[in-house]
Amino acid sequence: MSGNQPPLFLYVRAKIINDTIYLLYMNKEVPIYEIKEDLALRYASTADEIRRNLKEKKTYLLNVMSSPGSGKTTLLCSLINKLKDEFKIAVIETDIDGREDAQKIFDKTGVKTIQIHTGGACHLTSQMSSDALKIIESEHFDLIIIENIGNLVCPAEFDVGAHKNMVLLSVPEGSDKPLKYPLMFQVANLVVISKIDTIPVFDFDINEAKKNILFRNPNVDIFEVSSKKEAGIVELCAYLRKEIKEFLDE
Amino acid sequence: MSEVRTILLNRSVAESLEEEANELREELKKRKLFVINVMSSPGSGKTTTLIQLVNLLKDEFKVAIMEADIDSDIDAKRVAKETGVPSIQLHTGGMCHLDASMTRQGLEGLEGNFDIIFLENIGNLVCPAEFDTGASLNMVILSVPEGSDKPLKYPLMFEKCDLVVINKIDTIEYFDFDYNIVRDFIFKRNKNAKIFKISAKLGQGVLELKNHLVSLIEAWGK
Repeated sequence: MSGNQPPLFLYVRAKIINDTIYLLYMNKEVPIYEIKEDLALRYASTADEIRRNLKEKKTYLLNVMSSPGSGKTTLLCSLINKLKDEFKIAVIETDIDGREDAQKIFDKTGVKTIQIHTGGACHLTSQMSSDALKIIESEHFDLIIIENIGNLVCPAEFDVGAHKNMVLLSVPEGSDKPLKYPLMFQVANLVVISKIDTIPVFDFDINEAKKNILFRNPNVDIFEVSSKKEAGIVELCAYLRKEIKEFLDE
Repeated sequence: MSEVRTILLNRSVAESLEEEANELREELKKRKLFVINVMSSPGSGKTTTLIQLVNLLKDEFKVAIMEADIDSDIDAKRVAKETGVPSIQLHTGGMCHLDASMTRQGLEGLEGNFDIIFLENIGNLVCPAEFDTGASLNMVILSVPEGSDKPLKYPLMFEKCDLVVINKIDTIEYFDFDYNIVRDFIFKRNKNAKIFKISAKLGQGVLELKNHLVSLIEAWGK
């Protein structure tokens, strides 16, 4: 295996759109992977198994969830650029279609990035994350970040084997979202209120938002960021750095 | 305004969801009742847009609103307060979408005869597109802060919609949002989609949207 081209597993099919496979990693061609339900061939893996295996391999898995357009990709670019000198990082981008996010992460950070297509599914499952992790398992990473499908409902129902779930709530969405989408905020370990630079533009009451988040989940850690203005990124990075270090040192 | 009623919906047990949806649509045509299924991401401004539209339509037509959510009755209470028209809160019991049998349960929960009913679906750009609610029209709202790339990432939603409303256009200077790009992406998914630009908060562009809806409503069942 030449390092840059990840192994292709039988049950993970390369997706070639318009006769093009896409440039993502080290300027070598990396395909988009489409993960399909193919039960007979599947590598059975529960979320707990994934978590345990990654713990043994000393890889911290972070699952990032939010509504569409809350700023997951932009935030990840900022975080990765601050953490990549200390930790070896890879990103698994999941979408129904498109490859813009994987391309953006790769262009802005240079870390290993793969694009997964869920074949229309509205969330990732532990089977899918297991498949996706297999694509990059030939290399060791300290931190692997999964960017889940933009959706506040279904991804919350499926444990993908991550060590922590990070949920973004962006200011333009409004402070009532934790009331309307309970499970997402219940499964979150940390909630990042994003786009705080736009608070004056929207009717957004940050204290109300925090109250609603804590109503769903009193133990959650809350951060306020603006990726665009680089506000709050240092604090969030410090938190993640501590988390990952403790995990790797255990 | 009296307390808003909340009903907990049951999932359809029909063998063919498609048939069930088509049957409901035919029935609505006969009753000359126009049902508008409104879909978007969470927080794109569905409720605010509905309030603006309902306030422009309610003198000419008998209007009601069905609000679907996983939890809370914030939206139904808000629309009742801000429009005065009958509204009902539907809870999906955790489900991420509505189907035609759920629409029917909502219709049965509303008392009275109406010309137009708005059905505010769960905030979600994926699953609601997979289920035909039996509505007369599918309207998708895409708000400026979400970004121009959404039609690329959520194909089915934009394929299934009849009209796309770009909302929060008053905030365009704060975000990287290019209207020409988004229009091309929408047409790539759906050449027949009608596109409207509005700011529901400021009431901009809502009259044009309302006039378009009125032309569709008047043609419905004829």
